[in-house]
Amino acid sequence: MSIALASGVHLSVLPTTQFKTVRIELHFLAPLDVSTFSARTLLTSMLETSTAAYPTQIALSAELERLFGASFGIGVAKEGQWHRVTATLTLVNDQFSGEGTLAAGFALLNEVLNHPLITAGQFDQAVLARERENLALYLESMAEDRQLQASLATQALYFGGDSGQGVPSFGTPEGARAVDNAALLAAYQQLLTRDQIELVVLGDVAPAQVEALASTLALAPRPELSVPFVVDTPLRDTVQAQTEQAPVNQAKLNLAYHVAAPTSGTAFYAAMVAEELFGGSPLSFLFTNVREKASLAYYASSSLDPYRHFMMVQTGIDTADRERVEALIATQLTAVQHGDFSDDLLANIKAGLLSARLAAYDTPRFLARQALLDRLASGHHSDFVAFKAGIAAVDRAQVQEAAAGMTLQSRYFMGGEELS
Amino acid sequence: MKERFYTAVAERQVTTQLASGLRVVIVPRPTYHETYAMLSVDYGSIDTTYVPLGASDKVQDPEGIAHFLEHKLFEKADHDAFDLFGATGASANAFTGATRTSFLFSATDQIDENLKTLLDFVQDPYFSEATVNKEKGIIGQEIMMYQDDPGWRLYFGILGNLYPTHPVRNDVTGSVESIAAITPDLLYRAYRTFYQPGNMTLTVVGNVDPQHVIELAEADQAGRTIAPYQAPVRPVSFDGDLAAILPYRAATLPLVRPKSIVGIKGTTPVDDDLVGTKYAITVRLLLEMLFGDSSPLYQSWYDAGIVDDSFDFDFTAQRTYNYATLGGDATDASALSEALTAVIAKGADQPLLEEARFARIKHAALGKYYQSLNSLEQVANQVSDQSFGPIGLFDLADVMQAITLADLQAAAGQFFRLDAVSVFHILPEVDA
Repeated sequence: MSIALASGVHLSVLPTTQFKTVRIELHFLAPLDVSTFSARTLLTSMLETSTAAYPTQIALSAELERLFGASFGIGVAKEGQWHRVTATLTLVNDQFSGEGTLAAGFALLNEVLNHPLITAGQFDQAVLARERENLALYLESMAEDRQLQASLATQALYFGGDSGQGVPSFGTPEGARAVDNAALLAAYQQLLTRDQIELVVLGDVAPAQVEALASTLALAPRPELSVPFVVDTPLRDTVQAQTEQAPVNQAKLNLAYHVAAPTSGTAFYAAMVAEELFGGSPLSFLFTNVREKASLAYYASSSLDPYRHFMMVQTGIDTADRERVEALIATQLTAVQHGDFSDDLLANIKAGLLSARLAAYDTPRFLARQALLDRLASGHHSDFVAFKAGIAAVDRAQVQEAAAGMTLQSRYFMGGEELS
Repeated sequence: MKERFYTAVAERQVTTQLASGLRVVIVPRPTYHETYAMLSVDYGSIDTTYVPLGASDKVQDPEGIAHFLEHKLFEKADHDAFDLFGATGASANAFTGATRTSFLFSATDQIDENLKTLLDFVQDPYFSEATVNKEKGIIGQEIMMYQDDPGWRLYFGILGNLYPTHPVRNDVTGSVESIAAITPDLLYRAYRTFYQPGNMTLTVVGNVDPQHVIELAEADQAGRTIAPYQAPVRPVSFDGDLAAILPYRAATLPLVRPKSIVGIKGTTPVDDDLVGTKYAITVRLLLEMLFGDSSPLYQSWYDAGIVDDSFDFDFTAQRTYNYATLGGDATDASALSEALTAVIAKGADQPLLEEARFARIKHAALGKYYQSLNSLEQVANQVSDQSFGPIGLFDLADVMQAITLADLQAAAGQFFRLDAVSVFHILPEVDA
């Protein structure tokens, strides 16, 4: 249940006694604009490093220690055509801490958000210089994770390297290095006064108490924005291809697909089942045929992003096996499209989706995420009953139809054959 | 059957040991949808030298055999255990560490069926020439993947320095060359020696009735022919040998950021009893006091660009070895390792060990411990890890509370010695 604290500021409280913690998520949402990604990302580093009252990292860390070892962090992500900055605070229940950590937690959020270390209208220049360099170096070092690098490159290829969907939510090293004090202040002002705010609180809490504490954050009214959550990329006639050489032992072959299925209704659930059958589960065609039977990969799996009409296959293989693996992947999708699967397998795939979904309700992170999706994605159903009914209604023909709407668009390969 | 309610953490734990020797530990969580079950074997990558069951001479297995065995247990003559779990919607997995192999499932339905599958597939091995050879391809790919992971290379680099003659230095997966020597006979021999119920623990966390789980496990064991337990004979003894340490090595890799890690080798065994458990937590608190987020030393290094957010540290105590590692990405790999070494060289003389901050750090550590209990997976892992010793997961709050600053000072004096330190760097390749 969500209530409006002010125009553009909403609070969702999910009382539960299942966990030993209270989770607070404070989301700031702005329309996706590539030129702001780096400043918004660097801002998260600045805000989680220091405040006026806690001007150093050790002072801020000490306060978290006093809060019974509370976990705190600020990160960035994308939600459809929104850019999201999220502060997450996890507090141990008062039952165990014997203290009133909830109020103290909100006081800390208030301090971080409303009292950053800004003097004479500027963020501290030395802190800015250090955090900027650290962020740039960190983003550069992400290339050391070859699977991640391949995944980002595949998305850049599919969505367009300089588009809001093609550039990662955390920006680029060059972008980070270009952020100055003025850009950082502008990002902060945007966050404070114009971003849509979604506050989610989950745990053993009383809604009235949370509402009172939330009001202490003094979040000013702002325009209610209407930004589309769903992203669709026009279908291309030809498959794009990109090959990169990298000094790797294991090559990476990734494939990007356009997914035609809608984002609600039976066809939405059918796409979920089709993807799970194709490559989303250890029972899937990719896992059993590419990895297990053909012994061609340590990982070979698909992932579906229904709200971006996007599916990606990721594999780690031998460079020499590239063509065989690609042909084998195509055969697996064809098998789903042609209905070459048993009723038992279909039933097991559906049971797996239901079980994984039900287990997810045991985690504060998933539950809090459902509250956010309820606010952002129209037609989203966060309850298990709706999900179960949706999956149960999917039949073989619908799975085939959903798979037929999965069209290969981009092929990314990172190989090491040039190496000695 | 022993049942205990731990008031401090509001948790119930039921423990028993069946006639077969199998330990069963259950943590009921009635408000959870998921049940998480794990069958763990006290056998890992370091156990390559042993006396096979029924033999008198020790043998040497290829590196990576425990991990290989873990993979191969899923596959049977006419089916794969994955599919049996999958038929109920459960998800299954397994992992191998230096001293443990664990098989697990997560399910929300048909828990009895899944428990039977878990107990059955782990206790019913099937290895053939063809399936073993095919697995070499899959694991070969896994090995290649890890070779591309600088964090993995750094970790095994420092282990190689600290333990040049102890098997913990070897990759858990083995190498492409070592696994080539694995045969069905070798797998069966290791299996018979280590996969005895007396060397295993079943851990179940979730919405289950403990009595019912125990009865199910008892019925499973009663249906098998189980010889009296003979504890595996493992000639590898505790390695606290400082003379063996390689003080420094470096590798070059195609990477962006240099990496620097410092290892400290423990010179006395740390057991899983109260004394050892308390000591391990004490060392972790000591490291947090000196190098944690709220340490003035850490702040000064961070401000000077010696460390960044990737900096991390840990203390590991396992059968036959214990060590600490500290490190991360560093623009100047030597500057970081020198700064760390200088602190360690001071032994017990640590000005940062003061009461007020210690009270806060201990308080925070307790809070982190409570947070960790939300996750069934973490609870199952930790309960399982502790199941071979007398101190359980839910005793840890009390153990932690009893630790004093004097304990930290004593641990610093015992553990921090310059001759126990080693350094490993990974440096970017320089373009020709």
